[in-house]
Amino acid sequence: MSAATIWRCWLALILLLAATTASAFVPLGNFNLPVSLTIAVVKALIVLLFFMELRASRALVRAFAAAGFFWLLIMITLTGADYWHRTDARAPIDQTKPR
Amino acid sequence: MHAPVRESYLNASVGIRSWLLTTDHKRIALLYFGGITFFFFVGGIAATLIRLELITPQGDLGSPDFYNRLFTMHGIIMVWFFLIPSIPTTMGNFILPMMIGARDLAFPRLNLLSWYLYIAGGLITLTALLLGGVDTGWTFYEPYSTFYATGYVILTVFGIFVSGFSSILTGLNFIVTVHKLRAPGMTWYRLPVFVWSTYATSVILVLATPVLAMTLLMLLAERVLHVGIFSPQLGGDPLLFQHMFWFYSHPAVYIMILPSMGVISEVVPVFSSKSLFGYYFVVWCSIAIAVIGFLVWGHHMFVAGQSLYASLAFSFLSYLVAVPSAIKVFNWVATMHEGWIRFDAPMLYAFGFIGLFTIGGLTGLMLAALAVDVHVTDTYFVVAHFHYIMVGGAVMGFFAGLHYWWPKISGRLYPDYWARFAAILAFFGFNLTFFPQFILGYLGMPRRYQSYPPEFQIWHVLSSAGASILAVGYALPIFYFAWSILRGPRAPANPWRATGLEWSTPSPPPPENFSTTPTVIRPPYQYDRGKPCMQAGDV
Amino acid sequence: MSEATSPRAIGIQYATLAQEREAVTLGMWAFLATEVLFFGALIAAYLNYRVWFGSDFIAAARMTKVVLGTANTAVLLTSSACMAMAVTTFEAGSKRAPVLWLAATALLGLAFVAIKATEWWLEYQERLVPALNFDLSRYGGIAEIFFVFYFCATGLHALHLLIGISLVSWLAIRIGNGSLVPGGSTTRLIGLYWHFVDIVWIFLFPLIYLAGRTT
Repeated sequence: MSAATIWRCWLALILLLAATTASAFVPLGNFNLPVSLTIAVVKALIVLLFFMELRASRALVRAFAAAGFFWLLIMITLTGADYWHRTDARAPIDQTKPR
Repeated sequence: MHAPVRESYLNASVGIRSWLLTTDHKRIALLYFGGITFFFFVGGIAATLIRLELITPQGDLGSPDFYNRLFTMHGIIMVWFFLIPSIPTTMGNFILPMMIGARDLAFPRLNLLSWYLYIAGGLITLTALLLGGVDTGWTFYEPYSTFYATGYVILTVFGIFVSGFSSILTGLNFIVTVHKLRAPGMTWYRLPVFVWSTYATSVILVLATPVLAMTLLMLLAERVLHVGIFSPQLGGDPLLFQHMFWFYSHPAVYIMILPSMGVISEVVPVFSSKSLFGYYFVVWCSIAIAVIGFLVWGHHMFVAGQSLYASLAFSFLSYLVAVPSAIKVFNWVATMHEGWIRFDAPMLYAFGFIGLFTIGGLTGLMLAALAVDVHVTDTYFVVAHFHYIMVGGAVMGFFAGLHYWWPKISGRLYPDYWARFAAILAFFGFNLTFFPQFILGYLGMPRRYQSYPPEFQIWHVLSSAGASILAVGYALPIFYFAWSILRGPRAPANPWRATGLEWSTPSPPPPENFSTTPTVIRPPYQYDRGKPCMQAGDV
Repeated sequence: MSEATSPRAIGIQYATLAQEREAVTLGMWAFLATEVLFFGALIAAYLNYRVWFGSDFIAAARMTKVVLGTANTAVLLTSSACMAMAVTTFEAGSKRAPVLWLAATALLGLAFVAIKATEWWLEYQERLVPALNFDLSRYGGIAEIFFVFYFCATGLHALHLLIGISLVSWLAIRIGNGSLVPGGSTTRLIGLYWHFVDIVWIFLFPLIYLAGRTT
């Protein structure tokens, strides 16, 4: 990995940081979180692929790298299944309460 | 009896330092074996006291608080300090490198560190339990465990936290070993199923245990700081703790059963003198169990208050996870079909495993049905279900492996008649102990209760009687294994006529396992009219 | 740059040095996967609470110091670039350059910790520290839960960073005195660890600092 690549990556990361912080002050409603997380994913990918040399690594190493994130996604999604839908069905006594 | 003693890993170096500072995977396996045997008996003492208490409907063996501490201790010790380490750290450590033709694991010093972490965690938790223990149940549900429980919650939890790192490092070691240290010719599809099972177990160890670590840290934060992260006082949700706890603890039960399944997959072909039926199915089912096992944890929380949508999803996924286990059972039975069966002790334990695991698994499906679970959750039905899997399954598998590989590990043979007798005794004792508990649960007897209505007594008496028989079945091996070490006949390299690489070394093996790295020329479990076709080409 | 004259010792379980290098690389990535799930569990719990509590949770996030947080992120990203430079120059055979880059990495890491400590001190002044001086009547219970997450996450991250700084400093010393030469894996592995600590922060930053800034 050449010095030029490293510093180009650094520049990209700093620009993305500026973008994510700026976007936090733009009223996007429910989209603020997905936007900032997407930018975070892009930054993480730059670090993973370039600084951590996954671009030049074998498929097995990439599988190891991906495994943790994929499993985390499972955890977030399935617990989300509970929390996103906790109040779908209300007990009769709670029917008149405001949501 | 007085033949010259050949050099093996047992006598290559002497002195306590050569054991406590060893990096030889075989010696570390024995170090672990000492630890898990010790904890098995500690947990067993707790079980004995529980079953003694439950003979009579009133609580007469100590206070209700003492009973709570007893079943908590039994659960914690058996889960974290016996079952989870049991097969991977003993037989995994000893046999796996030999099965793949390696001289050691990928990271031998990390292996020793794993043992020290296990012992440290075990001693910390044991100290807490001897000081008085905790009464929260092994599940530490909040806010009881953090705000209301008296007792040594922090110390107990810290001990478990420390031992978790032992699990993680062991799993990491096995995964890298299987990827990188296979001998020439040992392709993935020539690996014995025990290696695949241990690999699947290791994936769970590596991916699930860190979540436990964080969950326990947050529990400690809540208890130490008195800030209710998961407690209702500030608005927290106790269910979030349960989600985090069971995200680890359900895959943990697959950590406990997968290695046993691997052992059974080794034992059944050898003692049927027949190739394993459906090898590809069995190995991919091991992986499937590990993966799908991560998707079902909410079935422990059906009545806890999680959303109905989540409960439906988890119920469906729980039905799915039973499929690969069932496929394995069919394959083992098909292996035996038209084989030439030998009823040695390992095979008797394997028979016990297959029958009892099937019952445990089917009752698991009953519990996965939402409507049934509402009725039997937190009753003895659940207790019976998981003991059928953990004891009838995992522990039987452990004993099967122990009896199978004992000659290789110790270099001695044990008396078969005593071993078979112990296996049969354990089988009968087990069923008498736990089958009445299905009935108890169905009739409504809650779990974790010290006293109960008198109409349940007959079932409890049967269960406790069974427990006394089971105890004898478990105690017997101590005696005949000790006898085998002191006076048993020396074992040949391959007493069972098996085909794996581990059987092409002397019993016990030399420190470096193989003087020259073997070359593998054929798949496992090949028999030619009952004669083993060894995997290693140069044997 | 002279190569090591004696062949590197490898364990008896390895046949070649390349095999050992690949094994330790896989081992490090497996370890990092466990760290993803360790921090990830905390993040998952946080995300669930964010869904469950909604606006109260997000309101608490507004009390974090976004300027210091952004500055800290820039510091850590730069430290990763320095670490990458250290690994590259070391494997190219240089001795002085990697030591300087490693020193820069460690110094930036210390800068991060210093800025973090400042933030914590400010939060202490504002009575936002649970169990110490959290002002429950002013901020509410849900905010206290948020700040438990905040201190756990940033505290654990800082701990990992301190470990990283120690490793990087040790590495700098060993390269500097010549006892570590190219051909092994140590530098690369410590680099992987450092970058990973950076990645944890990359995800913690938006979750902690950027919530609720538009109201």
